[in-house]
Parts: sequence; C-alpha cells; structure tokens
Amino acid sequence: MKKSNESTLSAYKNHFDISFDEFQRILNISLSRGGDFAEIFLEYRIYDSINMEEDIIKETAENISLGLGIRVISGEKTGYGYTNELSFDKIKKVAKTASSIASGNIQRKARYPEPSYFPHNYYPISIAAHTAPLEKKISIIKKTYLAAKKYDQEIKKVKVSLTDQAQYITIVNSEGLFISDFRPLMKIVCFSIAEKEKKREYGFSGAGGRVGIEYFQEKINPEDLGKESAQEALDLLTAYPSPAGEMPVILAPGHSGVMIHEAVGHLLEADFIRKRTSIFWDKMNKKVGNSQINIYDDPNIPYFRGSYNIDDEGTIPKKTLLIEKGKVVGFLQDILSSKIMEMPLTGHGRRQDYSCLPIPRMSNTYIDEGNYSHEEIIKSVKKGFYACKYQGGQVEDSGKFTFSVNSGFLIEDGKLTAPVKQATLIGSNIDILNQIEMVGSDLKFSLQTGTCGKEGQSVPVTDGCPTIKIKRMTVGGSR
Amino acid sequence: MKTKKNSHSLTGLAENLISFGRKQGADEIEVSIFDSSEFTTDLRFGKIENLVEAGSKYISIKVIKDKKTSFTTSSDLKKDTLEFLVKNAVKRTTMSNFDEFAGLPSIQESKINIHSLNLFDPKIVGMDNEKKIFLAKETERIALKDKRITNSHGANFNTREIKTILINSNGFSNEYDETFCNLSIGLQAGGIDNKVEGYWFSSKRHLEELDSPEEVAKKAVARTVRLLNPKKITTQNTPVIFEPMMTSWLLSFLFTCISGESIYQKTSFLVDKLGEKIGNEKITVYDDGLSPRKLGTIPFDSEGVPSQKTTVIEKGVLKNYLCNTYTARKLKLKSTGNASGNSIGPTNFYLQAGYLKPEEIISSMKKGLILARTIGQGLNPVTGDISRGAFGLWVENGEVVYPVSEITISGKLGTVLNDIEIIGNDLSYQSIYSGPTIKIGELTVAGK
Repeated sequence: MKKSNESTLSAYKNHFDISFDEFQRILNISLSRGGDFAEIFLEYRIYDSINMEEDIIKETAENISLGLGIRVISGEKTGYGYTNELSFDKIKKVAKTASSIASGNIQRKARYPEPSYFPHNYYPISIAAHTAPLEKKISIIKKTYLAAKKYDQEIKKVKVSLTDQAQYITIVNSEGLFISDFRPLMKIVCFSIAEKEKKREYGFSGAGGRVGIEYFQEKINPEDLGKESAQEALDLLTAYPSPAGEMPVILAPGHSGVMIHEAVGHLLEADFIRKRTSIFWDKMNKKVGNSQINIYDDPNIPYFRGSYNIDDEGTIPKKTLLIEKGKVVGFLQDILSSKIMEMPLTGHGRRQDYSCLPIPRMSNTYIDEGNYSHEEIIKSVKKGFYACKYQGGQVEDSGKFTFSVNSGFLIEDGKLTAPVKQATLIGSNIDILNQIEMVGSDLKFSLQTGTCGKEGQSVPVTDGCPTIKIKRMTVGGSR
Repeated sequence: MKTKKNSHSLTGLAENLISFGRKQGADEIEVSIFDSSEFTTDLRFGKIENLVEAGSKYISIKVIKDKKTSFTTSSDLKKDTLEFLVKNAVKRTTMSNFDEFAGLPSIQESKINIHSLNLFDPKIVGMDNEKKIFLAKETERIALKDKRITNSHGANFNTREIKTILINSNGFSNEYDETFCNLSIGLQAGGIDNKVEGYWFSSKRHLEELDSPEEVAKKAVARTVRLLNPKKITTQNTPVIFEPMMTSWLLSFLFTCISGESIYQKTSFLVDKLGEKIGNEKITVYDDGLSPRKLGTIPFDSEGVPSQKTTVIEKGVLKNYLCNTYTARKLKLKSTGNASGNSIGPTNFYLQAGYLKPEEIISSMKKGLILARTIGQGLNPVTGDISRGAFGLWVENGEVVYPVSEITISGKLGTVLNDIEIIGNDLSYQSIYSGPTIKIGELTVAGK
C-alpha cells in the first residue's frame, strides 16, 4: 500500500519545528485542568490569485497563512486558542488558555503521537497550481477573458480571476493520532457584462475543484468558460421579469443542488440536531418527503471541491446517506457531536482555517437519480417556472429557505418558452420535500466554485441534483 | 488597567521591509501590519459551549514597479519568509500589465487627532473573563425567562483589540488602536414544526455604550415571538415599511452601487449618474469616517488617506462616488478615504433621519407590510434588482394584525430611492450601515 500522504509530512516539518515529545508535552498541558480530549491543528497555506480586467493583468497576489490552533473538550464545553507565533513558549501559553475550559480532578495523559496514513487520495493531481509558473496561469486566464470579450459586440466588460490554494494540514490529538494531508484547490470565475440600449446584464461562469493545472488543459477548455458567461449575459438582455406567486417549479439538473444543500443538508448537521434547533431533530427514521428522494453527502468524490482525504479533525470521511426513500437516516457528525449523541463519526468536522473551531459541515451533497427523463418532467407541467442558474441560497433552522435564481424560463404547455431573470424561490423544507413529485434520471453537479458559510466560517462545497419537479412553490418575481 | 499593544518591533519590521523592497527594485511599497487579539464566549442554557482566546499578527504588502502592481500577505512574520515574499512580489510585477492609474497616494496633510476619535477603550482590554462570561449568561437568562421562548441558539460575547500600522515608501507612517465589543443572542419560539427565529445584538467600540443584557434579551425575545403563527399572504403590490435593520441592508446594497469600483467596472446601475437626481428629495446619505466612537470611524484608510465626511446623496442628488486612490484616478475624482484592503469599504454609511417616530409611520399605513427580516441573496447591482425571501408583519388600518412568512419581496433600488415616502427619526448607528425606519410606496410581495 502506498503511503500517499508521506510527502505532506515534510511540509509540516519545514514549517513547524515541533518534535513528537513536544507535541505530547503540549497536549498534556492542554489536559492539565481536567479536559477529556485535546487536539492541535497545524496549517500552512499558500493562496495565489490573478485578476484580469480592462484587457490587462491588473494584479497578482501571493499569500501565506501559517499557524496552529489548540482545542480542549471537557464534557460539552470547548476551549480554543490559536497563534501564528510558533515558539514553544507561545504554544504552551495557547495550550494553557485552551485548558482552562476544564475544571475536573482527573488528569488525563496524552498518548504519544503515532503517525497514521490512509490509502486513498481523492486529488491525484499532476501539477499543483502553486508550483506552476505564473505565465502558465496567465495564459489560461487570458484565453477565458478573450473568449468572453470577443464573443459579441454587446459584451462590454469582462473580469476573470484565477485563484489557487495549497493547504497543508497536520492534526495531532491526545488519543495518539498524528495525520497529515495536502489539499490543492483551484477556481476560475468569469463575469461578463452585456449592454444594449441602456440595458445592462451580467453573466457568470466558473470551474475548478481539487485539481492541478492540467485540468484546464485536459478537462476544461478555458475559452468555453468565457463564452458561457458572455452567452448568459446576452440571454439576460432579452429576458423578462419573473412571474410572482405560487406555481409548479422545475429545477434544472446541476446548479439546483443548492436547494438540497439549503433545504436539507444544513438541517442534518449534527450540532443543529443535538441542540434541537433544527426542524429535523426528532425526525430520525421518520418520513419527511416523497419516497423518490435519496440524498447523500459524499466527501470521497475525486477532484471535487468539497472532497477531502481526512476531515479537519483527522477522521477518514464516509459517504453518508442522509435521506433514504424520503426518510431521515443520517446526520453529519464531528467529534464533539458524535460524542454527545453517542453516534458514529462520519468525517464531517471541518474548519475554515487554524483560527476556527471545527463544526459539522457538508462536503459534496446531492440528491440521487430517480426514474423520470428530463423531457417527461417538463412535459408534465402546463404552466410553471423552470429555474436554471443561481446566486446562492440560505436556510434557517426552522426550515424556511430561499434560493436566488439568476436565470430561468417560463414553462407553458409542457415546453420551455420565454427566458426570465431574477427571482427568489422560498419554501419550508418539509413542505417542499413533500411537494417533490418527480425526480429525474439525469444527475449533474454544480459549478466547482461553491462556498458555504456557517457561523462565520467559509468552506468549499459542491452540490448536485437531477431534474426535479416541485408541485407548488412560491416564486418571488416582480410581475 | 492594561494599555495598548507595543508597536515598536512591528514598526521596525515594516520599515526594514520597505527598504528591502526598494533595494529589490520596487518603485513604491506599502506595508500594513495588523496585530489583533480576540475573546469569544458562546453560552447556551447557562453553560459555556466555547471559549476562544487568541492573538495573531498579519502583514499585507503592496508593491509597484513601472506602474505594475502586485500584492502579498502573510501570517508568518519571520524575516526570511517576508523577504522571500517581497522579492517574489517585485518579480511578479513584471508579469502584470502597465496601468497608468497604479500607484500609492501622495502624502496628504491630516489634521485628524487620532486620540479624539476615541476608538480605543482600555476597559475592554482590561476586562476579566468572568465579567465577559457573565454578560452572555445574563442575557440568555433574562431571555429564557419568557415562557414563549422554546429554544436558544445561545448568547455570545466577543471582544477584539486591533492595532493597525501603516507605512509606505512615500513617507507615510502612522498607527492606531481600536477595540470592539459585541453582545448577541439567538432564540427560537414555537413548537417542533412551527418554529420561528429571532436574534438581537449590540456592537460598540466602548463597553459603557454597549446595551445591557436586559435590553439585548428583551429586544431579541420581542423580535422572535412577534413572528409566531404566521400567515401567508396573496401576491400583491403593497406599501412596505423597512425596520432600521432592513434600511441598513438596503444601504449596504446602495453602497455597492456607488462604490468607485462598481462604477469604473460598470457593474452598477448608477454609472454616469453623478450630479443627477437618483432619488426623491427626502434622501440624504453620508459616509462619515470622522464621527468619534462610531463603529466605522478610522483616522486614515488602508492607503493612509485621511478620513472624511462625504456627502453621497443630497436631497436625492448623487453627489459623490466613494473611492480609493486607484478608482479615483480612473474616474478623474479624488479619493474619499474609503480604501479598505485592496478594495473599497464604507466608514459610517447612513441615511439621515427624518422626523416621524416609527409608531407614527406604522399608524399612518392603511394596509401593507412591515419588513422585519430577509434571507437569501438576490441583489444585482448591475440592474438594481432586489429579490429576497422575507419575514414581516401585516398591517391593516395602522395596526399590526398578524405576522407573515414564506413571502418574497422584489423591486428595483432605482425605483425604491424615488419611492421612499417617509423617513423615521430612529437612526441609531448600530452597525457600519445604518438608517432609520422608512416607508416605501410599493414593492411586489409574492406569497400564495
């Protein structure tokens, strides 16, 4: 078995000059006030970006983030400290701060760290973007830019940015775990503005994932990204305002995954369940939607933006079935929640960076394929709304959620007719899950550009779904 | 009592990097260093959930050579790392394109007395953890006394202390210290399948100005329980009253649309509208970076340009776009001291108050919606389109008759600015964007 994460250890050694003996000492200090569990999260991250607009490469940036966070769990309480000054004295001070959350008499001892490895690698890239010459990235960005700019006379403004990250993490905990990972991440986004007769609209496209630079040569044509965003801007110039009111809604495959992310995923995160703030807290094994609905969260999909080899607590992540035939069957767990709820870990403890506590988060969330064809589903609606592309969504624990539609179509007599723009769809999750009438057989995933925010922490995610018909939903348009 | 952070070694570090960068061939170089400490406690049902205490330093550098720009940032403050990054940044400028508008601002004389802006409260720095935890605990305890509250998201108390140092190769060198404290609570009311949510907060630079636990708790409770047992209304065009928090939200969208960046990039519907009437005469909007103690006040922006009070809209006429040095040069305007990082940010961006009390505005409305909260995105600066999920209260004959939910509001910012009928007197600067209660003539509300 190849120890795929061995090379990441050298990165850790270059940036954190901490021996295993010292780790054990730090962890023992962390537990000195009676904590149950202590953990050190070490992170070194390089983050590069290039922006192109007004026909020039306007600026480039190179950023480095280096630091560590120490967490102590005592019962249901968590103490946390972080620092980017890495002297042993400073780290000991952080450990003491974190330790103070506990006030028990039993003093646990930390186990000596033992390196552990995993056999898989969900991002087997050839050339990590941060090691590639800047010229190469500039040539990608230029291709996208020019393709958009030259697409049509009405395209007046284009903005393209390319960002890439290399994140090296190491997790050491009082149970003897020592594990490291290297996570690459790339993203290119293109905005185009079309203008005609004083009307102005914008289009958007993007691509990326946990990929190397070769992805933009072999898998994605950078020019297609430019054309796609330009086309969307042009389409919106002739689009009508959206209708308003309750009507049947069909969600296009792919981008519409944001609905599952908002309406279902968040409310099955274990912290909201154990705090009983989620409307799903008492719904385990209960039916909450149509039996065509199966929903997964899978951190193991190669190259996806939401994927990871280990989560930010060092757990090997599992593909997790959340909803089976309309019934709640799983929650997304991190160490704290799984301990309190006495349920198995699923590997969904994630954090934005070393300054943040891990919390249960989604990775790649999707509704699985059903039996209907795309055409069948559209044909079944006499008058309704077809939602294509989104700005994003939001949910609150009560189950009320929205998502913002950039572009869509009217459905008339089983056909897509007039293009429409800018609408907000709003619903209540259990209600909408029951209103889902048809699930398509054409599962697709959204652009690999999504970021999810929770409690002030942003993490990369992906979502997906096949064509879905919702019998009745409120569409917030302006006519 | 504790005092401000020592800046001596950091200032030296910044100065050294500037001469190092110049030696590497940079024409201009700007170094910012942020040294911050934070404390956060989350409590739920009287018990501490999280306690976070930490400090971190962070450096941000801008390099210009032959009118080509590059940036670098690092939280690793080792000399070797930083010199490596500066060297790279100078090298990378050759791969950017020539941009005649690039460059640091020339030094401007500032009469601003940093001390009198009163941005730093030693009481926050010296506050002991027990007192901090008590504030959160007390807030939640008072809120939970109300039997209509069925669950708690918990209460949070947070303090931050930040030192900002800015030095550039044109000879600018200055620093300031600031503090923040924030008390907040989130609540739920109602049963398992008909939960409603609400929250409230108080956020200040000075501890003595922070609302008491009682005030925060009572406001949070009232804002939560008033949404219990909502109805869904039919789709219609109707007058809408924006509560102050909602006016703030509208103003944050207006800010995006008048930021110099959106203007030169033509991503705003307010391009080429300077000097034109974009709203009715009731509307006057300022961006005021000089008002002592306020959340957004700063002595100088991230490029060292002195803060100022800028009239954005005066009686409906668009007077100024808010600019940093780069966008000002692009638009042939002057920087308004709104540089924030590599972009543009507001200082205290607010809508001037009117005369009527919020109660009077409500009682003057025959029929319509009070907008209490929105969720989702749905703002498009290119067109001014607004479209959001909403929660609110339905008003008939000047009185609230029931709460409404699962509705959306939509309209256009351009239309809304012309359609503000009444502006309230309840301006309270509770966040960087702030405005009083306002009444809009008509928006589309979609429901049943």
